[in-house]
Formats: sequence, structure tokens, C-alpha cells
Amino acid sequence: MSATTTRDERYLMDRDRVLGPLFLLPAVVYILALVGLPLVLAVLYAFSDVTVADPRISGRDDFVGFDNFRAIWSDNVFRKALRNTVVFTLISQVIVLLLANILAMVLSADFHGKRLVRFLVLLPWTTPVALGVLGWFWMLDSVYSPIDWMMREVGLLGPDTPFGPARNMYWLGTTHLAQGAVILVHVWRTLPLATVILLAGLTAIPQDIRDAADIDGAGFWRQLFYIRLPLLLPIMAVALLFAIIFAFTDLTIALVLTRGGPVNDTQVLASWAYFKGIQGGNLAQGAAIALFLLPVLVAIAIAMLRLARRAGEETA
Amino acid sequence: MIRRSSAGRFQHSGISRRSLMQGAGGLSLATYLGTRATGTGAATLVQATPTTDISGTSLSILQWSHFVPSFDEWFPTFLQEWGDANGVTVQVDMINTADVPATFAGEISAGSGHDIVEHIASLPQYENSVLDMTDLVAEATARHGEQLPMAKANSFNPTTNKYYGFCHGYAPDPANYRKSLWETVGLDTGPTTFDELLEGGTQIWNEQGVQMGIGMSQEIDSQMAAQAMMWAFGAGIQDENENVTINSPETIEAVNYMKTLFESAMTPEVFGWNAASNNQLLVAGQASYILNSISAYRTAQEQQPDVAADIFLSLPLEGPAGPDRALAHGHAVFTAMIPTYAENPDTAMEFLLHLTANYQAAVDNSKFYNFPAFPDTFPGLTDDGGPLDNDPYGSEPPDKLATLKTANDWTVNLGWPGPANAMIGECFNTFVLSDMMAKAARGDMSPEDAVAEAETTLNAIAENWRAEGLMGGGQ
Repeated sequence: MSATTTRDERYLMDRDRVLGPLFLLPAVVYILALVGLPLVLAVLYAFSDVTVADPRISGRDDFVGFDNFRAIWSDNVFRKALRNTVVFTLISQVIVLLLANILAMVLSADFHGKRLVRFLVLLPWTTPVALGVLGWFWMLDSVYSPIDWMMREVGLLGPDTPFGPARNMYWLGTTHLAQGAVILVHVWRTLPLATVILLAGLTAIPQDIRDAADIDGAGFWRQLFYIRLPLLLPIMAVALLFAIIFAFTDLTIALVLTRGGPVNDTQVLASWAYFKGIQGGNLAQGAAIALFLLPVLVAIAIAMLRLARRAGEETA
Repeated sequence: MIRRSSAGRFQHSGISRRSLMQGAGGLSLATYLGTRATGTGAATLVQATPTTDISGTSLSILQWSHFVPSFDEWFPTFLQEWGDANGVTVQVDMINTADVPATFAGEISAGSGHDIVEHIASLPQYENSVLDMTDLVAEATARHGEQLPMAKANSFNPTTNKYYGFCHGYAPDPANYRKSLWETVGLDTGPTTFDELLEGGTQIWNEQGVQMGIGMSQEIDSQMAAQAMMWAFGAGIQDENENVTINSPETIEAVNYMKTLFESAMTPEVFGWNAASNNQLLVAGQASYILNSISAYRTAQEQQPDVAADIFLSLPLEGPAGPDRALAHGHAVFTAMIPTYAENPDTAMEFLLHLTANYQAAVDNSKFYNFPAFPDTFPGLTDDGGPLDNDPYGSEPPDKLATLKTANDWTVNLGWPGPANAMIGECFNTFVLSDMMAKAARGDMSPEDAVAEAETTLNAIAENWRAEGLMGGGQ
């Protein structure tokens, strides 16, 4: 150890081994208290017979093994919610990935009003999710929908029109339109974050690489597939990971927009866990529903992070 | 004087029930007249004497945000005046009714929260976390006469012999129809039977393009509509002994009827509604008939007076099972619960007694949305020539609310003929009935299969709650 280092670490707060953990401590406490503890509690609930009125686990008698998982699996609504969760997530994330790449490239170019466009693109992310979804709820209302009004005004809706004769589309009352609406709001919600992450990735691509490609005569598509996308892959994996986890676990969109209807056609695991566990009072089954995809999500998270690290190492 | 008893929670001495009632009645009348003079906001004139020293305590209430805004303007003043008179620090938090169960669940989990939690429906699934209100109901009965049987069945569990809630009032659930539309099909006073509803509603839809608004979606009104229809057809979710009886020819007939009604006079919007949607459709002038409390009409009075003038109320419809089963739920059943973690349960009970004593003011400030669970608290409410025959809130004709005079006779509890048990609570909150109706109406399933699926679901739910010891049946 050099004399300088010894002098630098004379005080407790100068030592990396002390300062590092100290700085990390608040984050660790936060994660343990607000993520770890509830997660452990949820796991315990899922294997117990607790109800909303009696959430205590007082002994071995309160544990019921896999009974809750067996019960929810035999429920048609649960299976529908599971399928919807996977389908809504996959479709919305494919759309988000495509649109985020396009938007990121557009926003990385120079044009007048770029700052305003960036602001507008980010706006949905800054809006509280419940408020945003409430806005969509009114946009798609069965009586007052402004979309329906516009369609009527341009002759698309109403008697003797392509989408007529009804005067309204009943967006939230028909299965495919309601499912489309849920996916649309998912995309509207997560697109800004994915775009910003990809924009940061694009900005980080060294200028000399792009200059070299230009000099070598590589066109737009060649640069896209051989330079930009490979270099963006690690950060794209991170964006996708966030977006998938947001979509998989989102409660608000289904709850505020459709309450899972019509006939549970937009029910997802998070909303069904809420209805079953909190509103219905069956806390144990609610916890089992909520935790059902935990192993899958953990596996996805590990795989994506590995992919990101590997791609990062290759790029380096 | 009324004092605390060691045997029971309350003990009377000094003042007889009659003298108390006379005093309360006189003061209630003064309250009523005072309220008439000042509009909303006039608070209590009756001070229900505390049975125990509650001075220096506090009381916090979590309750639903009322559908008639004037009630929410009046209630805090009423509470504050009671707090000032008794040296109690008071607080009320009003939230969207849909959020009450979740908030209550959170407070139970945390083991702390409000002293009173009030919801618009029974929450029997919360029984293990609330105090028994038997003494309070007995005391209120001693002071104000019998509680409506419907109110008892909405708050009492016969299996555990426990009042898990104190039901102080309810909102009748008549039909709201557009008179001008139904006159054109020869039904000037609206439909009175399900046959007339189908026939007239179909004609109105075909000839005038105005649909009917009976929901089949994931919200509470749709569950109530489905069950009322089942009753009229002679069906029920459960019997008196809490055995699941939904899979019957009568239920299948009701589901078949709903399918025909949807195909003849409704649009797919009824599958995607929330609890406010049928009100909005009516207020927008786009519904010929909905099932709802008078809040839809009151909203129209505020927002669309022309539409309101055309809205009239009618009785529950008669079906194949005859007039005795032309029934409705309490559209809202005001059930106050005192959690086991409440810091001031005595203060909470005293306030509930005080509220009951002043129910005339509550009814009035809700513009006759609230009806008392203890009818003696509002003498003359349902009498001929009473306020329902002469609505002080601008109805034209003034006797528009007269239909509600018989509401106590045709209003029954959730889950009738059995009690409002935890199975009924979960059934309503997980939309079993509306899904059953909707699956058949949309053609996803045959009515027979839809009913059989609902039976399987309900049996699984019932089994769970029986294992918890919270409901009977299953023999």
C-alpha cells in the first residue's frame, strides 16, 4: 500500500470498503422492505389459506400446499387471463420494438421542432398511468367517444356507412376491439420509454464508425442491419426487458379501461388477482394468481440480462 | 339516561323509549323543516345521548363518495357538529366506492386504520376482521323500532350468529324509463312485466333507434340486474340454507330471456360498461329503460332537465314466477363496519346511533336516495301525501317518486332467499352472474352450459367459505 493511499484512507469515510456499502445501503433497505418483504409475503400467502379478513399465518395448519394453484388452474377465467397476459404482452412489445426503433432514428436526425416532438413523444410516460388510461376510457366511451364522433362526421359510422349502421363502435363492448384497445394503450404507455432508451443507444454509437460506413458506401439498410441494430442489441434487450415486465405485471390498464370485460376477454393475471384476492376476499388464491408467472418473469429477466451482457462484451 | 351495561353493551334508565322517540321525532321534524328552508348542509338537531363517556376520543370514518353530491356536502358538517357536541375529534375520508374494499383490505393487513368503514354493499368476506354489532343493532332497535329484514339479512351471518355490519339504510332500485318512448308503444306507465319489456323495448329500438340499457358487464349493476331477473323467473343463486341452486330450469329460462332481449333491443355496449354507464346512457337520452336507483334521475335533473322531465320510475318487473317474485336489491346497502383494530369502537357505535337517530336528515340530504333501515326514524316517509308524493327537489309531476313508497316491500337482500354471505360477496365481485348472462347472449355458450359453468364456479367459491366457517349449506 502506498503512502498516498494510506493517507487517503486515514478516515473511515475515505475507505472504499466502507463508503461503497454505505452508499448502497439505502437502496438495499428500500428493495428489501418494499420489494423483498412483500414478495416473500405473497409467496407465503399463495401456499396458505389466508383470506382478506384473516391475513395472518399462525401455524403449520394454515399452509395448504399447492391447493390454491390447483384451484386457480381449474378456473376458466384464470386460464383466459393467463392467455391474455401472454398475448397482450407479446403483441404490444413487437409493436413497441418496431415503433421505438423508427422513432429513435427519426429523433436522432436533425430537423426543425425536434425538441417539441421529443417532448410530445415523452408525454405519455410522464402522465400518471391511471389518468392516461382514464383519458383513453373516455376516448373509447360507448356514448361520448370523440373517435366515434369523428368517424360519423367523415361518413365512416352510422346508417349506410362502412362501419355502420350503428352510430358507435362500442370499442370496449366487443371482444376484438376491447383487446385491441388494451394493446393500443400498452403501446401508447411504453413506447416513450423504449424510444428514449434506444435514442440513448443510437447517440452512443461512435461517429467514426458511421463515418467509416459512409466512406465505404454502405447504404441506409446495410448500415441499419450491420451496424446500428447489432450495436443497439444490448440496449434494446434492456428496453425490451423493462417493457415486457411492465406489460406482464400491469394492473391499471385492464382495471380502469375494461375491468377485464367483456366477459373476461381482456382479463389479465394482475387484474384477476385483484378481483379474486381483494374484491372477492380470497387472498390466498389472489396471491397464487399474481405469483403464477413469477418463475417465467425471473427466467426472462435473467436471459435478457445475459443477452445484454454478452452482446455488450462482443461489441466491446 | 342511557348507561353502559356490563352484561350488554347498552343499558337504558330514566328515559323511556317512547319519550326518547317523541323527542327525537319532534326534533327530526324540526331538522326536516330546517333543511327544507336552507337546502343542503343543515345538520343535526337530534343529539343521541352517548351511553358512555366518549369525550376526548377521536373518530375516523372511511366511506364511499355518495352518488348524490348534496349528501357529501351535508355529512361532514353533521359529523363535525356531533364531534363538537361530544368532545370528539372527527375525520371522514370519502373515496370512490369501488376503492373501499381494497382500502379496507390494506388497512386490515396493516392492522390499523379508520374506526368505521362504510360500503354500499355487504362485505361478509371481511367478517373475521370486524366487531360483532349485535348489541348496537339491539340498541338501535330499542330506540327506533324494528330494522328491515332486508337490512338484517345484508349484515347478519346466521352461521356464526354475528352482525358483521350495521346497515342503517339502503337505496331502492326501481326501473328508470323514458315515458315519451313507451307511450308510443302503448305502455304509458312503462313496462310492468318482462314480456312487456321485451315487446315494447324491441318496438322502440326498431322504430325509434333507442336501445335498452341492462348491463351484462364486469360491474355491480349488472350483477343486480341479472339476479333480479332470475328472481322474477323463479330462480335464485342459493336457497334459504345457503345451498347453491343456480342450475335450474328457471335460471336457464331467465338466461334465455336475456339472450332474446339483447338480440332484440340492446347493443354490445352492455358488455363493456362500468357502474356509471347505464346512468350516462339514460342522461344522454339514448336509453329507453335502465335498472338503477334514483341517482340516474337526479343526475339528469342537474345535467339534462329535458331528459329528466321524461324519466319516470317503475316497479320491479313481474316474470313467470308471479308478482311475489317481482323483487329488487337495495341498489346500495349502506353497511358500516367497525374493524377489530379500531381505536375507538365505542365512539364509533355512538356515532352510528346518532346517525340512525337523524336518518330523516340523511334521507333528505340525499334527495331521497337513502331510505332508512329503521323505518320509524322517518315517520310518514312512505305515507300517502308524504314527501314521495310531493318531491321537494323539483320533480314534475311532484309525485314522480311515489313508486318508491312500496320499496320496503319489494326490496330484498343480496343472495335472497339466503343471507348475503361471503359466497355472494365473491360471486358479485368476480362477476359470475353477468358473465353467465353475457356468454349466452353473445352466443359463446348455450344457456344450459353457461348456467352449468356458473354453478361449478359458485360451488368452488362456497366450498372455500364453508371451510372458513363463514357460511352454511353444503349438506
